[in-house]
Amino acid sequence: MSQPDAAMISSVTSAAGKVIPELVLLGTVCINFLVGPFLVTPSGRALPGLRHRWGGIAIAAICTALYLWWTGSTEVVTTGPFRVDNIVWYVRGVMLIAALLLVLVNWSQIEDGKAAESHACLLAITAGVNLVALANDLTTLFLALELISIPTYLFLFLPRKDAATQEAGVKYFLLSVFSSAIMLYGFSLIYGMAGTTDLPAIQTALANSNQTPVLAILGMVFVVAGLAFRLTAVPFHFYAPDVFQGSAASGAALLSFVPKLAGFIALIRLLEPVVDAAPGLLLADVMLPMLWWLSVITMFVGNFLGILQNDLRRMLAYSGVAHVGYMLVGLNVGHHTTSVPDGIEALLFYLAVYGLMTIGAFAVLIAAERDNKPLETLDQLAGLHRVRPGLALMLMVFMFSLAGMPPTAGFLAKLNLFFAAWAQGDVSNRWLALFMVINAAMGSWYYLRVVGAMYLREPLDEHHGSHAPAPIIASVACTAMVITLFFVPTWLWTMVQTVRSS
Amino acid sequence: MTTLVFAMLLLPAIAAVLMLVLDAKATAARARGFALVATVATLILSWSVAYQLPATSQQAGPVTTRWEWRHTWLTLASPAPAPTVVNHEALSPNVIRGQSPEEPKNTASTSKPQDPSTSRSPSGDFINLEFYLGLDGLGMAMILLTTGLCVSAILVSWSEIRERSAEFYAGILILEAGLIGVFLAYDLILFYAFFEFTLLPLFLTIGVWGGPKRRYAAGKFFIYTLAGSLVMLLGLVSLVVETQSLTGISTPFSMPDMARALQDQPLPVETQTILFLLIATGFLIKVPMFPFHTWLPLVHVEAPTAGSVDLAGVLLKLGCYGFLRIAIPMLPDASLTVGQPLVAILAVIGVVYGSLCAYHQTDIKRMVAYSSIAHLGVCMLGLFALNAEGLSGGICMMINHGLATGALFSLVGMIHERYHTRSLTDLGGLASRIPLLSALLVFISFASIGLPGLNGFIGEILSLLGMFQVSAIYAVIGTTGVVLSAWYLLRMVQVGLFGPLREPAGDHSHVSDLTVREGLAIWPLALACLGLGLFPQTLLNLIEPDVKALAVIYYEPDEVIVQKTDAIQPSFAMTNSTAIVTSDQAVETISSIQTGERR
Repeated sequence: MSQPDAAMISSVTSAAGKVIPELVLLGTVCINFLVGPFLVTPSGRALPGLRHRWGGIAIAAICTALYLWWTGSTEVVTTGPFRVDNIVWYVRGVMLIAALLLVLVNWSQIEDGKAAESHACLLAITAGVNLVALANDLTTLFLALELISIPTYLFLFLPRKDAATQEAGVKYFLLSVFSSAIMLYGFSLIYGMAGTTDLPAIQTALANSNQTPVLAILGMVFVVAGLAFRLTAVPFHFYAPDVFQGSAASGAALLSFVPKLAGFIALIRLLEPVVDAAPGLLLADVMLPMLWWLSVITMFVGNFLGILQNDLRRMLAYSGVAHVGYMLVGLNVGHHTTSVPDGIEALLFYLAVYGLMTIGAFAVLIAAERDNKPLETLDQLAGLHRVRPGLALMLMVFMFSLAGMPPTAGFLAKLNLFFAAWAQGDVSNRWLALFMVINAAMGSWYYLRVVGAMYLREPLDEHHGSHAPAPIIASVACTAMVITLFFVPTWLWTMVQTVRSS
Repeated sequence: MTTLVFAMLLLPAIAAVLMLVLDAKATAARARGFALVATVATLILSWSVAYQLPATSQQAGPVTTRWEWRHTWLTLASPAPAPTVVNHEALSPNVIRGQSPEEPKNTASTSKPQDPSTSRSPSGDFINLEFYLGLDGLGMAMILLTTGLCVSAILVSWSEIRERSAEFYAGILILEAGLIGVFLAYDLILFYAFFEFTLLPLFLTIGVWGGPKRRYAAGKFFIYTLAGSLVMLLGLVSLVVETQSLTGISTPFSMPDMARALQDQPLPVETQTILFLLIATGFLIKVPMFPFHTWLPLVHVEAPTAGSVDLAGVLLKLGCYGFLRIAIPMLPDASLTVGQPLVAILAVIGVVYGSLCAYHQTDIKRMVAYSSIAHLGVCMLGLFALNAEGLSGGICMMINHGLATGALFSLVGMIHERYHTRSLTDLGGLASRIPLLSALLVFISFASIGLPGLNGFIGEILSLLGMFQVSAIYAVIGTTGVVLSAWYLLRMVQVGLFGPLREPAGDHSHVSDLTVREGLAIWPLALACLGLGLFPQTLLNLIEPDVKALAVIYYEPDEVIVQKTDAIQPSFAMTNSTAIVTSDQAVETISSIQTGERR
């Protein structure tokens, strides 16, 4: 064997060594896809209860990944296709726990015959998010983002066969492909400027070039636009309500958190080196106002339209849009560095807490479903508190957490962002803090409507809905964490600070 | 002491959770019995805490505690903590930021050496949020008021609440825990958290068990106060940021530490003014002062009796309390230059307007609600006199108005339970049907009017006296509030209780006088009104060190003591005529006081 081959093999081995948790997940994905079809009759029927086994396998895979994550080496590596550092460590933890919750949320939403594929998609998406954080190269980044997108189409499509689901699936597919294309175009422009796809090398190239990086600016604008589709930032948000409304609640739960996590991590990864390194800060001069406007418009539009909704999932979709606006505040402030607390820290904290709140809310909606028909309008929640007091209590916790009321983690998360924006000191960022306050007040109105419907109105009928344990376990876990993180935020905050300990 | 305070704070909350978890479908009898035991136990605990509370504080500064307990909640910025999993030696700041080592760094944070003992921010240090619980005389007095009123609130709901009882009583208990928490909190964010948290149980209490328009009322109450609180949060955060960057203290969220730091190095006046306006927005809505009062009558009319008792008795005082704890000690210049005129003008408008509105109500509950606006106007006049008399008077008003209005709402609730109406057009001459209840209503009305010998008097006279030293015109207009309150309350008494008997249509032969259970709810409040009227010095002694510490910011120490003795000595057994004499004496001394050095 010749010398280059040996070097190549060793570099592949070392690269593989950095992604062991993801390999476990992807291995399970392969097993699911290979074995799954054999356990189903050609007409699509399967043994009753098969989904419990596939769910168990998915949980086992995620727990193994979690164990590997917790005990694994955290030696920092910055070269090669994968970069291992503290952000990766944090994102892996957040995403694996979110995946655990999503498996539980998805548990009863899927037929026995499709459980293998559905859970496999979930695992692949999880691996994809982790790989986004790991990516050290534009190509790896793009592939990782596609590893999220493609299983997501399937995941949205699998649970139900009605026209609404299909419409939602197709809509998401087309727009996602479109956004990927835009982003890829941006990547190609950046590549054209820097001559490399390696992120550190791009940064060096930007730092060393003497001209105005017009190409890089153009490229970054396209990349941000592409990622904004995933974040559902305004004006790239318009598909979200329709897709949320059409897809099963588990699909909506996934969409409400996972693409946003991936999008923000990708933005942090891309913007930090590029913006920081640009000569004369010209790139920053374009990017930061753009992010500022993106943030302001996103929160206002999200909350305005959220108030108008009567459909629960549309409302939660707009709520997600508004929260993206808040989180973009963190990204804005983060690049001004010295503030205390750091905007990126606040953003990372917010992301984790937002995931708990929104997945928890969808888990409650699933647990309150009747005859496997998703809850649609606000009226269907009327009097939930009489029929299912526990679920109503948990949904109230999530709503108040989303609104940023104490004693929930949502309050501290918002406070941190707010504090970061204000402490940073720039007038423009103080405006952001002010807009956040106005929006928090506006947003509380529609969260309060949900609480009002559950508690202040009489139930329409005495239907108790399903008592499937999985979504209830997920919502109890989310409630516990949302409240615990208010009293002991240090647990999560320490991890966040580890990420940014620089 | 620490154990007792924690027991007092947690007992109602734990009782509420137990009730919801173990016995959510409890009958009304079981739920109210359990809730009564819990509130009485909390009341006893609060009195034993009060008994053990030291008479003075060991600390210096405008905001002090006589007992405290601190525990770090969240450290926003500090040296990077040693991570559990990440191998720290392998990290360098450049690597984490994704920058190559050779590259020149243009930001402060990336150029810092990675040393755990150095800090990140330039001004340098930890910014800690704390679970900082403390007690001083003011907080103690408010806690005693809360625990006392909550017992009455349970007793007056006894037969009013028939549906979903366990949840209702759990709501009242959670509200009690939240209110005790507000008065214990000495960390700004903890204070804000409790302050906001009290909205949730009250929102549900009004929305579920209230009158016909309860949902609208609950929503309006929630959104209105939340919007105000969020503006206040903006103010609090900027206050912390400004203080931290000016003084560099490591615990800028701690009220005593912050007040001490700002006493040495006050913020610039312009900054103070903006911060004052932001913070005041939240508190003015909560009090509520004149243009922000519109939510109050609606909410009171719709709320169940217990909700009204707690809302008027304690929740409205959160606004006054917030001014006392945050705006007055931290922002002295703004309180004096902007706060005093602003609050005084709003307060006198509120006094006159609230009184006139109260006079024109036929619904007794609505009338009491408007009277609250007027009385709290007098209270705010006292607080923003910013001298020892005014502050003591304002605090006395807070307590006394809580007792009197709580009792008034309870009595109105009892009448409503008997006749299912509160309208003065339907009711009249009730004294012949329900003599004892009527007598108590007269007594409490007198307490509310401020008849000498009852508790309302001392607060009003001290507040107005304090304001008189600052500006006679505000005090004079404020005094009309006392006259007007006699006018509308006595009209209510005259029409409703005396004259020919008028009852709404229907059979009312079963209407009985005060029952034992109702007596238990109302007698303690009535006796407290009498007790504080005869021996106001007990309350004044309790709050004196706190008032002194606050007043010192605005006037020189020796002068404060002189003023205080002047004001309090004659106020022991005064009649209306001597009150006027005292005011005349105050005119004579006013020149010396006004020349007193203001900082």
